[in-house]
Amino acid sequence: MNNKIPSKSLGIFPRSWSEEQAGRIPGNIPIWVGILSELTEFAIFFVAYFIAKYNYPEVFATGPQGLSTSLGVANTIILLSSSYFMAKAMMNIRLDNRIKCERYLWLAVSCGAFYLIIKTWEFYWNNLQGLSTSTNEFYTVYYYMTFNHFLHVGWASCAILWVIFRLRAGEYSAAEYSGLEALAVYWHMIDLMWILIFPLLYVLR
Amino acid sequence: MKKFKKLEWFWAVLIFITLFNTFLGEQFESTALVSIIVALTVMYKGITVIDHFMELKHANRNLRWLMRMYLILFPSLIIATVFF
Repeated sequence: MNNKIPSKSLGIFPRSWSEEQAGRIPGNIPIWVGILSELTEFAIFFVAYFIAKYNYPEVFATGPQGLSTSLGVANTIILLSSSYFMAKAMMNIRLDNRIKCERYLWLAVSCGAFYLIIKTWEFYWNNLQGLSTSTNEFYTVYYYMTFNHFLHVGWASCAILWVIFRLRAGEYSAAEYSGLEALAVYWHMIDLMWILIFPLLYVLR
Repeated sequence: MKKFKKLEWFWAVLIFITLFNTFLGEQFESTALVSIIVALTVMYKGITVIDHFMELKHANRNLRWLMRMYLILFPSLIIATVFF
């Protein structure tokens, strides 16, 4: 019979990766497994983008001109702001200020909702211009990347609502906030992906 | 209190870089210089989010390294496209 005390670590990483040796893991290990999986998924999209751009330079030079740059810029500012609000929420939970923490989480989820509305409007506007996944290689990559990102913002926004519910239930405090922190790092990862997507699809010709 | 001000500063810088990059993309032909500036500023934006918003600067060094490499590798490919 195994009477070992369960370790906090999953025991699947090298010892040098342990929190004792490499430093604290923000959130928890499962969320980082998720984040690294998501990063791999987006990496495949980015590699596909560069391969397609190499093979169809003309299509990728003219493609961004058909998109609404102002909607792309608006969404970038909204996501950067959401990341800022999330960081402020984290600061306030560490100070045990749950009221302010909740306020910043509502601001972050509002940003998520604004992003989704603007992105939906952008897809509708593209449709009115006659753009679709089959227009050319640029738009195929554009729709794959942005719709995938759209889904991530959608479910992460729902996760913020869940975290607000748990915060109101008194589950988080200055002493215990790992669940909230796990969501925060996931949300920042989504922002990071948009930081990469925006110049590739809207800025560079 | 000092750290609160620091966050606001990074937020403002990130928004400024976004607007600056958009201006470059809209006003100038996509030259090698524009691509390189955009790539370098994207790296800076990514590393700023990783270090100060994600708070990995003083956290697990392996996770920080992985995240940083990701945000250096893909913008570097933008620079590589200059030579296509």
